[in-house]
Amino acid sequence: MGLACAATVLAEPQPLTQDQLAKAIKIDSLTIPTPGELFAALEKPGKPDWAAQYRTPIPVTYRNRAQIALNLGGLIADGFIAVEAQDSQQVKNIGTDIIKLAKALGVSENVLSRGNSINEFAESSEWDALHEELEATQNEVKTSMQSHRDQDLVILVSLGGWIRGTQAVSASVMKNFNEQSARVLRQPAVVSFIHSKVNDISPDLRNEPLVKSVNEQLAAIEKLVGFQSGKATTLDDVKKLNEAVTKLMEEIQSKGDAK
Amino acid sequence: MKKRLAIVATVALLATSLFLRAENDEEVEAHKQVLDLTGAFTNEGFKLRDGHWAGQIKPSERAVIAVNLYAGNQYWFSAAAANTKAKKISVDVYDEAGKPMTTEVYNEAEKASAGFSPTTSGQYYVAVSLLEGEPTTFCLVYSYK
Repeated sequence: MGLACAATVLAEPQPLTQDQLAKAIKIDSLTIPTPGELFAALEKPGKPDWAAQYRTPIPVTYRNRAQIALNLGGLIADGFIAVEAQDSQQVKNIGTDIIKLAKALGVSENVLSRGNSINEFAESSEWDALHEELEATQNEVKTSMQSHRDQDLVILVSLGGWIRGTQAVSASVMKNFNEQSARVLRQPAVVSFIHSKVNDISPDLRNEPLVKSVNEQLAAIEKLVGFQSGKATTLDDVKKLNEAVTKLMEEIQSKGDAK
Repeated sequence: MKKRLAIVATVALLATSLFLRAENDEEVEAHKQVLDLTGAFTNEGFKLRDGHWAGQIKPSERAVIAVNLYAGNQYWFSAAAANTKAKKISVDVYDEAGKPMTTEVYNEAEKASAGFSPTTSGQYYVAVSLLEGEPTTFCLVYSYK
């Protein structure tokens, strides 16, 4: 018998105080949800057409490290989309691009060996394992960045993943709009947390044109995902959010003039 | 295959924990203990997050961790102590205002889990409390589906 079956419902504990809320621990690896969690929630009312959310392959020859970190996060979200679509070839293609970008950042061999695992799991259609492998890859990239004193880039990986995931989900919700699906887009605390972390990075990096622009746009996006919990989310709300994150994603993946 | 997934997840998590920072032996042990606990959820189709929090908790204290959850998903938050110094622990979930949420609860001495299915997406808080026993190290992870 599983644990869930053995569970019981117990009395509720005392509420948390304002001080406890203010001092709550916030860490990247638990406080920021993975794209996989977001996609799992969206699938509850019915499986979306995930393949419709693929994007054309992005360049993997960026030279700006902040831009590489943002796009690496976006690619990992693409990997989750391909897993949801159960598309082995797409997973393998994205896995290859993830490793190319990771190499450009000079990450460790541990990360590079993840590419082989992604391919193996994709070959054998082990979709649950791929969820875990993609998140583990992302965490290893972040760990490797920390050891290379690229700590400031870590939050950009999470940010890139969040933007791409939100772009795919908002587009999917727009296609077959219903209130239940739209509810998953309410995530002001995630954006607030990411925004505060971006504000903590070194002034040099924060003032790079791309990072500065992304940071400025995050403030507006924070408002767009702050739907009131008791109020219905409208199609117009979702459209505005999708436009904002699409604009941001285009800027992030543009091979233009990031420093 | 589920066993294989659990092993892969365990190895990945332990490897990640080793690289993130030099975790002490108690943190590594608490992590191992909590992964044992979550195996049952993995078998029921829950996916384990590749991230964890580990730290020390004293009696009558609680560690509060902020998480962001999605309406429609089911979550299990699991915590375990590194050793049997902890006699009874609990895991509780609160909404963004600090109001306790009704959860399914699993308690087994130094291990506990709370099951929660939010109806509203947003920020929640998970508290790990040491109800009985001596100060020791705990690890928290969560699974979703």
